[in-house]
Amino acid sequence: MIKSELSGSLKSLRDSVKKISLIVPSGVEQIRKVSSNILDALASYDIDDDGLFDIKLCVEEAVRNAIVHGNKSNRKLSVRTVYWVDGEALNIEIEDEGAGFNYKALRDPTKEENLLRNSGRGVYLIERLMDKVEFNDKGNKVKMTKFLGPKKI
Amino acid sequence: MSVKIESKAGLTVCYVDGEIDINSSPGIKKNFDKLIAQKTPKIVVNLAKVTYVDSSGLATLVEILKNMKSYGGRLRLVNLSQKIKSLFEITKLEKLFEIMATEEDAISTFL
Repeated sequence: MIKSELSGSLKSLRDSVKKISLIVPSGVEQIRKVSSNILDALASYDIDDDGLFDIKLCVEEAVRNAIVHGNKSNRKLSVRTVYWVDGEALNIEIEDEGAGFNYKALRDPTKEENLLRNSGRGVYLIERLMDKVEFNDKGNKVKMTKFLGPKKI
Repeated sequence: MSVKIESKAGLTVCYVDGEIDINSSPGIKKNFDKLIAQKTPKIVVNLAKVTYVDSSGLATLVEILKNMKSYGGRLRLVNLSQKIKSLFEITKLEKLFEIMATEEDAISTFL
């Protein structure tokens, strides 16, 4: 491989994992800004409407949880979102500055006795609609992964 | 987001247009609170023009249903997009709500 080809392929490898970082204050009006930024960045991928719906919903649920539950809507505290596409996997990390929560203790919102509850469906939807979901031990950071189709030619 | 309320065949039909999410949910709830205050017995909610629902939106619909049930009222949801219907299936809220394909189905069988 000649040198210019090598540097070209290294460049595309680097581009494919370029991380984009967004930091927003803890106001619910910021939620749509974060999801729109991510969806706009995915315009060159061949993702169907259902896939885009899932990504928008999961990002908005996670950012909402970070703002309302994590940072208790304290505007002095920020929510940091980092996202990148690695191969065909969209990775999104959302972190708040709160004390974290015990995600293992979440109620199952689909149980008969919980169906009438007003909350508790956000994390459940994320776990069902994303391909992989991980929380850090503290519970103030979630990493979500969704497998995308190949890039549009 | 907008909610248009009409009377049809002795029933109340609500047409919701837009997204039902954390930002629009309080406004949607206000529209239904008026109907609930009047103890409206039967409401059909047409979601044909609803493109997006988040967990706040689902919670708002649950709240409306609970409030209606407190006085024996009944609520039916119609014209859900395939995607929004799938959210009701995933969350098992389909067991709680009467979900029907069309407004005509809901009205003609609402005894």
